[in-house]
Amino acid sequence: MQKCLDGVVSIKYYTVPMNTDFGRYVRSKREALHEKRAEYSVRKVAGRLQIQPSYLSKVERGEVAPPSEDTIVRLARDLNEDPDVLLALAGKVSKDLRSVIMKRPKLFAELIRQLKDVPDHSILRVVREVRDGNW
Amino acid sequence: MIELKNNSLTFSFPEVHPSACLTINFQRTLRIPDDDKEYPLPPGLGRFPLQHVDDYSKHVPASWIEHGGVMLPMYQSEAMWINFHSDYDIDRATSYPFAIKVATGKTNAVTGSEWTRGLNRDPKQDYVVSPEQPWLDGYCVEEGLIRQFVAMPLGAGYTAEEQVTGKAEHGGLQIAVYPMRREIYERRFPKCDREELAMESTCYYLDEKGPTYVADMGLAPGGRMRQEIYRDPYDLTDWDPDHSSRCFVHIANSMVWHQITGEYPPTTPPTAQEYTRAGLPWFEWYDDKNAALKGSEKLSAMKSVATLGKEKKDVPMSENSPVDPDNVVILHSDSRTGQVREFRDE
Repeated sequence: MQKCLDGVVSIKYYTVPMNTDFGRYVRSKREALHEKRAEYSVRKVAGRLQIQPSYLSKVERGEVAPPSEDTIVRLARDLNEDPDVLLALAGKVSKDLRSVIMKRPKLFAELIRQLKDVPDHSILRVVREVRDGNW
Repeated sequence: MIELKNNSLTFSFPEVHPSACLTINFQRTLRIPDDDKEYPLPPGLGRFPLQHVDDYSKHVPASWIEHGGVMLPMYQSEAMWINFHSDYDIDRATSYPFAIKVATGKTNAVTGSEWTRGLNRDPKQDYVVSPEQPWLDGYCVEEGLIRQFVAMPLGAGYTAEEQVTGKAEHGGLQIAVYPMRREIYERRFPKCDREELAMESTCYYLDEKGPTYVADMGLAPGGRMRQEIYRDPYDLTDWDPDHSSRCFVHIANSMVWHQITGEYPPTTPPTAQEYTRAGLPWFEWYDDKNAALKGSEKLSAMKSVATLGKEKKDVPMSENSPVDPDNVVILHSDSRTGQVREFRDE
C-alpha cells in the first residue's frame, strides 16, 4: 500500500494464494532466482541477511516461526519481493502500517472488512472527500 | 465530490458528466499597494498549502470541525487570489462550465450580500463563471475594478465580513460550485471535428525564487486592481442546482500554522516594491467577448485596510509604498490554453 502526498491511498495489488505459507513462498522465490544466479544459494542469501544458513533453511521448511520484521523486509529486498506481501504471509503488519491502524483501529478494521470481497480493480484507489459540515 | 489533491480542491461531478471537473487553488501573491492607484494583476507565487481540518481536530477551534472543510495559512496582510481551472474537453473544444459562488466570512465577494444557497441574478449576479473567469483576486467594487483579498485577524474590524455585517462570526472563505446541466453542455458545445481544433499555447512561467491558540483570519479589502468580473453568458437555468458542492476554507494565521500542523508555512512573499524593482512581470487580462458586472455598492463602501488602519491609528501592514509596474504581460482570453500567471508547483 502506498500513501501518496495528496492523501490518496493507492493500493498496489498482489494476489497470493490463501494457503501459501511464508517458508514455502520464500523458498520457491529464492530457488527460482538461484536457478539463474548462484548468489541466491541459501548460504549466500543468509550471509547477506546476516543470519545463519541453517536458520534460513529451517524458516523455508516451516520448522521455525518467520523471522523478525526487519529481517523479513531485508529478505524481501534481497529477493526483489514486496515487503508487505512477505510480512502478510508471515502474519505480520509493518510498523508504519501498524501505527496508521493504531490511530483509528475501529475505522480501519471496518474498512478492511468492507474491502474483503471487493475485486482488485475496484480498490486501486481510495478517495478521500473533503468533509462538509454545518455552516 | 470534493477532493484535496496537490494543494488544490477538485470538485468533480461524475454523475453529471465525465468532464465536469473543476480545480480551485489559492495562490500566494504580492500585496499590491493600498494607495487608491489602480494596479495590474500581480503574479502567482505558488499555492497555499491546504490541509483537512479533520486531521488536526485537537489543535483547531471546535467551530472549524463543525464547519468541516480545509484550512490554509496566511500572514497578517498577506494577499491571495483564487485560481479556477477545468480540464479542456478536446472533443468539444471547451472546458466544462461552472458557476462558482465565493464568499469571505459568508459575505459574497461579488455582491456583498449575505451567503445564501443557490445562484441568483436578481437583482445582481452573485457568482462567477468558469472558464470565462479564470481568477478572482478580490471584491468586486466597481466595473472592472476589485479590491484585493488581504488577510486580517478576525475581530480587528478590517474584514469584509465585519465591515458589511458588523459581526466577526465566520472568517475564512466559502465556496460553492454548480456544474452546467449535462444536456445543456452537450447542446451548447457539440462534439467537433478534431482537425478543426487548433490550440494556441502561450506560457508565461515565473521562477520561484508558538503559541497554543489559533488566530482565525478573515479576508479584508486591500488595494485596487484592474480585474473584470464577467456577466454570466449562459441562462440561469443552465446550471444544475441538484449537483452542487461547497467547501469552507478556514484561514489560520501563519504564525500558528506550525503549532497546528507541525509543518512550516511558506515564507512571506516579496513586497510589491521588491518584485517590481527586480523587473518581474505583472499581468493584464483582456477579454473582449464577455461583459463586466457593475461593482457592488456594499463592497465599494468598504474601507481598505490602509484607510481603516489610519482611522484606527493602527499599522496593519508593514510596507505600502506605491510602485509603477513597467513589465506588464498581456494575456488574452482567446489564446488562453497554456497561459498562466502563476508559478507552476504541481
